[in-house]
Amino acid sequence: MKIPPALQAFLRRFWDIAGGVSVRSKILGIVLGLVLLLGLGITVQVRQALTRTMAAQLAEQSVSVARDLAARSTDLILLNDLFALHRLLQETKANNQNVAYAFLLDAQGQVLASTYGESFPTDLLTANPIEPTDHHRTLILATNQGYVWDTAVPILQGQVGVARVGLSDALLRSTLATITNQLLLTTALVSLIGVTAATFLTWILTRPILDLAQAAQVVAKGNLTQRVKRWANDEIGLLATAFNQMVSELEKADEIRREREVLRRQLLEKVIVTQEDERKRIARELHDSTSQTLTSLIMGLKVMEGSCADLQTQLQARELRQIAIQTLEEVHDLAMQLRPRLLDDLGLQAALERLVKEWQVRHRIAIDLMYHVTQERLPDVVETALYRIIQEALTNVARHAQARNVSVLIEQRGDELVAVVEDDGIGFDISKITIGDGAQPHLGLAGMQERAALLGGTITIESEVGRGTSIYIQLPIPKAVEDETENYDFARR
Amino acid sequence: MKPKTTILLADDHAVLRAGLRLLLSQEPHLQVVGEAESGIETLRLAEELQPDLVLLDISMPGLNGLEAIGMLRKRAPKARILILTMHDDVHYLRQALQNGASGYVLKKAADVELLSAIQAVIQGEIYVHSSMTRNLLEDILPPSQSTDLEQWDLLSEREKEVLRLVAYGYTAQEIADQLGLSVKTIETYRARGMEKLGLSSRAALVRFALSKGIISAE
Repeated sequence: MKIPPALQAFLRRFWDIAGGVSVRSKILGIVLGLVLLLGLGITVQVRQALTRTMAAQLAEQSVSVARDLAARSTDLILLNDLFALHRLLQETKANNQNVAYAFLLDAQGQVLASTYGESFPTDLLTANPIEPTDHHRTLILATNQGYVWDTAVPILQGQVGVARVGLSDALLRSTLATITNQLLLTTALVSLIGVTAATFLTWILTRPILDLAQAAQVVAKGNLTQRVKRWANDEIGLLATAFNQMVSELEKADEIRREREVLRRQLLEKVIVTQEDERKRIARELHDSTSQTLTSLIMGLKVMEGSCADLQTQLQARELRQIAIQTLEEVHDLAMQLRPRLLDDLGLQAALERLVKEWQVRHRIAIDLMYHVTQERLPDVVETALYRIIQEALTNVARHAQARNVSVLIEQRGDELVAVVEDDGIGFDISKITIGDGAQPHLGLAGMQERAALLGGTITIESEVGRGTSIYIQLPIPKAVEDETENYDFARR
Repeated sequence: MKPKTTILLADDHAVLRAGLRLLLSQEPHLQVVGEAESGIETLRLAEELQPDLVLLDISMPGLNGLEAIGMLRKRAPKARILILTMHDDVHYLRQALQNGASGYVLKKAADVELLSAIQAVIQGEIYVHSSMTRNLLEDILPPSQSTDLEQWDLLSEREKEVLRLVAYGYTAQEIADQLGLSVKTIETYRARGMEKLGLSSRAALVRFALSKGIISAE
């Protein structure tokens, strides 16, 4: 169906207004509008009907009064009893409230008697001329006292004279006014009752709705314990029940999610701790056992080399020693990569200095480390986490950044540790990298994030294509830590 | 005949001690007088034997090598201490020398260097593994700091403000929020300020700011 644009515009404007006001105003508007429309409609209708009926009655009355006057005055006119005629006129007027005036004319058109007395308005004489052959003639005259139904009746075919009677509509008008007033008053009263009833009704209707809206807002803010009261057994009550059910379900789901999150965190923490312990154990094993044995082997070969007379065997021993030395170095590097002993023995600063130095040599990228933490040693978990995060960050820089300068800063800011790994490389569009889950999660970044989160810290990344990347790590420093780590032991076994 | 140099071997690995003993036995003027497996045992034996030289490992159960050095110096004052270790990091070296060790040899180079190291130490010299001397020197000579405070005073107030916050490790977004400026503007101020100071990285800025008292130590 096609709606003409003008109508569309009108509908839109109507909806702008109707949709803009509250439900209370809408219902009030409907009630008030209906009552007023009904009241006014009835008033108009009643007035019209009354006017029509009463006007017809007036016309009829006018004729009958005039004819009556004509009949009763015939003899008196013939007798020329002016006094009786006068009395007859007075009587006629007194008998009918509507009679405004009455008078009698003789055959020549002269006034015989009138209700006016001396001041007879002469223009009235010519106002309703009548032919002697007419039965009667009624005209509606507009006077300064309203409309007058003027009827002229010839007496004995006009041979004796004419009887004239005027019936005024003053009474009719006052009756109409009274009825109209009553109707309007009734309308006003009904409106008042209607408004009161509507206000009460809307209060009943909107209170639960407002309650629901408020509860929904509270729930949206994360308070899932919020419930609404069911006010009535109507549709809104149904909605309230449904709302409460929904929130309960949400609460349950949230609880499950939270439990899972806690479990996941615990599991993750366990995985990280286990991994770190395992690495530490293997690194230590390599360091303490394999390396020592290899060293001993090297020294043995050296002795063998020196004490052997056979040149061939001597050369073989040297060769074997070289292989053993190479293996020892590899084992040492492997242990270092798994878990630097330095981190346990001398702490984060020493381990980072070592890491940075080796990274610089391996990747040929200038790197500047600034470590400024007043506390001599940080808790084991913090040191490990920070070391691993920075290690991962540097791995990312080497792999993706194409940087020329890298800066690693670790400092204390109040009761938190702040670390910044910054490069002047190609950068990237952060919006295109998903850290958590997503189509292609960046596992390295996610791992860093998780490690930081486990210690109540956060990781922020700032990057822009062509402007390098900055990774900010914030970790809270746990309290009551200094006593624990003041005397660091080198051999934590 | 010159008296033999007496040596105490302190290492928790029996295999390694055996190797060392074998190596040292080749030298007629050296004599291994004792072997210790832990820090405590080392102290006890050193006090008892008063050797000329203690060949000391750093990683040992209980009392570790670095801690043992100081106590050894007291209990066996004439004994020279030569560290023989896997640790090739300058931090260990520094600490060992600070605590009073006379030499530092890596186990991976023991076959070649150990005998000359022992020789040097006995003669009262300091011996440090060849590849580590450079690290030690780098450590002693700090990087030259050419920027001075006057250059800082040349910066505009905004630049100073931004650089101070950069030095405190705030993100560009945080600085922008704090100063009511855009991230782009912050980056411009930062780049301009760093260029004026001739600094290339945040780490360098912090070093500069700390040395000039521009940011407080805490």
